[in-house]
Amino acid sequence: MLTKRTVLFVFFDVFVAFVLIVGAQGVDPGLLLKPTADSWPTYHGDYTGQHHSRLTQITPANVNQMTLAWAFQTNQGQAVKATPILVNGVIYVSTVDNLWAIDARSGRQIWRYTYPQSQAFNIGHRGVAVRGDLVYLTTRDARLLALDARNGTVRWNVEIADWRRGYWCTNAPMIIRNHVIVGVSGDFDNLPGILRSFDADTGKPQWTFNSTPPPGTPGSISGGATGGQMWMTGTYDPDLNLYYVGTGNPTPVLNGPVRPGDNKWTGSIVALNPDTGEMKWGFQAVPHDTHDWDAAEVPVLVDADFRGTRRQLLLQASRNGYYFVLDRTTGQSLVTVPFATTNWATGVDADGRPIPNPEKEPKRDGRLVAPDESGGTNYRSPSFDPSNGLLIVSAHDAYGIYFFKPEHGAHGWAGADYTVHGRGVLRAIEYQTGRIRWSHDLHGGAGTAGVLTTATGLTFTGDSANNALALRSSDGSTLWHSGIGRVGNAPITYELDGRQFVLFGGGTALYAWALPQ
Amino acid sequence: MRSRNSGPAKAGHYVLLVALFLYAGAIADAQRGRGAGAAPAAPQGRGQASPASQRPPQTATPQQYPAEQIEAGRTRFAAQCGFCHGRDAGGGEGGPDLTRSDVVATDVRGDRILPLVRSGRGNMPPFNLPDTDLMAMVAFIHDQKTQAESAVGGRRSVDVSDLQTGNATAGKKYFDTACTRCHSAAGDLAGLAARVQGLQLLQRMLYPGGPPRDPKRAAQVTVTLANGQTVAGRLTYRDEFTIGLTDASGWYRSFPTKQVRFTVDEPLQAHVEQLGKYTDADMHDVLAYLQTLR
Repeated sequence: MLTKRTVLFVFFDVFVAFVLIVGAQGVDPGLLLKPTADSWPTYHGDYTGQHHSRLTQITPANVNQMTLAWAFQTNQGQAVKATPILVNGVIYVSTVDNLWAIDARSGRQIWRYTYPQSQAFNIGHRGVAVRGDLVYLTTRDARLLALDARNGTVRWNVEIADWRRGYWCTNAPMIIRNHVIVGVSGDFDNLPGILRSFDADTGKPQWTFNSTPPPGTPGSISGGATGGQMWMTGTYDPDLNLYYVGTGNPTPVLNGPVRPGDNKWTGSIVALNPDTGEMKWGFQAVPHDTHDWDAAEVPVLVDADFRGTRRQLLLQASRNGYYFVLDRTTGQSLVTVPFATTNWATGVDADGRPIPNPEKEPKRDGRLVAPDESGGTNYRSPSFDPSNGLLIVSAHDAYGIYFFKPEHGAHGWAGADYTVHGRGVLRAIEYQTGRIRWSHDLHGGAGTAGVLTTATGLTFTGDSANNALALRSSDGSTLWHSGIGRVGNAPITYELDGRQFVLFGGGTALYAWALPQ
Repeated sequence: MRSRNSGPAKAGHYVLLVALFLYAGAIADAQRGRGAGAAPAAPQGRGQASPASQRPPQTATPQQYPAEQIEAGRTRFAAQCGFCHGRDAGGGEGGPDLTRSDVVATDVRGDRILPLVRSGRGNMPPFNLPDTDLMAMVAFIHDQKTQAESAVGGRRSVDVSDLQTGNATAGKKYFDTACTRCHSAAGDLAGLAARVQGLQLLQRMLYPGGPPRDPKRAAQVTVTLANGQTVAGRLTYRDEFTIGLTDASGWYRSFPTKQVRFTVDEPLQAHVEQLGKYTDADMHDVLAYLQTLR
């Protein structure tokens, strides 16, 4: 029979054990600054967006010996598009309104959370974020959930934006100290572009950044445009304390005449103070976009030599088909050059922005435009390989036809466009010049896979057919492949118990590859 | 703008706007683009009517649905289909305006829509949903079409009359220079404009996609095995590692690309190369010329 004292001791022991577990297992936000080899603690792997790993066990010489360590089948109708997060030996991976915790050693499910059915758009989900003992999940009806990382219990649930107005969410949140920063989507209605920060512990709103203001806002510089949604996860420079995020296309999408001017800050890269949401600078990759080309693609942060001087750079391969290099302290343009087929600009202005050709705006009789709506690239994570000096990008050479007439109106899409033809190709861009060092045909239309590079000179991605690929980063030659189904996410890598794993989403499953034991 | 009665509004007369359903999906896949399904045969009716008088396909069989079913379908449709086809079914990101779809126009209580939704087509994935949800979505699509038929404009509409800015004489000149290596006005393209009009004609002109009407025009591959034997047929699959063909007897055969030699004759590549050469004026001129091939 237990004495009261024993009960107290047991209680105390359990309490201590609990604290120790939390202390040992909870994710220190500092991990995000220096990720360990056994983790992939944030959407891009670290704050830079380089999607590059220093792991060296798998090399060009042995990659063709990789064997399947495990597979995890989601049994969902939708492909895995999310970049998995890994901390403490646990993988967190999502599809729309679903989140799984999986043992990274065995592929065994630890728990699963399913959000109730909702009526918002259902198109895909990019991933989750972790901090302390919480996992942050966005839902398609634009809510932010914090779940207990141990068991998937919902701790809190707050609204990011009102889905009834046409907002939805696919976003993988960004954690910076005690901020959870999330963006939303919403192209089918004329909605102000919003990025919001919430207190990581409580979910209390902290700030909102408007890339475009609500219509009628005095002093607006958007020219009447709405949109500019920040639907992708940005990157962070802790020394400058700046959060870099790409903004979406303006709305109405194809109707340019109704929103004259540049439509700032749509189609832009903006640098924000993550503590206040204040904008330090902006660079517009697409002035007055009329083709659905957001600049939401990953702004990759690189400290490297630039024409003889070490500089703090920001690289972006943008949906409009242009590669940009900026000085990320000021937003000053250093390079603007196409990396995919384009025909929509007449040149580049003094600020490094492509100059849209008004004749390539959508017209009643149609205009043949490159790239098409899905762009020269898109959400697919690129990877920066520092040793080869290459930004490796899933590119797309494509043409579309674009129509607009006043009868299409001024709400939402407000026009029509159709892809004519597109070809997916992996391109290795020399970061200082934009020169293409090599291209690797993806055997089909636009790819769906992101890119991972490692320090041994390997590039992991997927083609547009059915294959996961490993290429030699220096020349793009193929070293390994496996027909696991179409890779729909960005591969990641980690090392556990001395063994390096490479994790791909293939179709509706996750596959972990490693060298034989 | 057209009023509802200004065009040939007879039930059963519908222009062959190819099933625009085929464009579903924001990401175009060149290998499986439009036209992957057979173009529905349409009565030619007034083949000589002026292009401007042609209008979207009209509902062949009027259907009534309960208001509750339409409302249930509205929410289901928005969640499952809205991103590509628009919440109002009038077109979204990548997907076509369903109110102008031939499939919808000829559907009777889901007999054409449901199989397509269940199996997927082109870039549109298959949807595994309960029958009640699917029927509610069908009810909603038909209701949206009924409403669209009484409205003007349309979010993604492209009318034949919109496309009449080209010069047929200039277009013939361009055609004679750029297109006659493979095509002839009196041969394969004879009567083209009687079969295909408007946006569909423009799209097929730029890049036909899908299986050609004449199987001899499909991409062909000849594979030479290590022992010198050759196998030829219609190109059926190709990635970096595998080449697949359908031989003359209809059998599929595949080979590892590293262990064989092969040559591919891909006639459509000429269309891809032409995309980088057309000016917009050229494009409209050639379209104008093709419209004369009746």
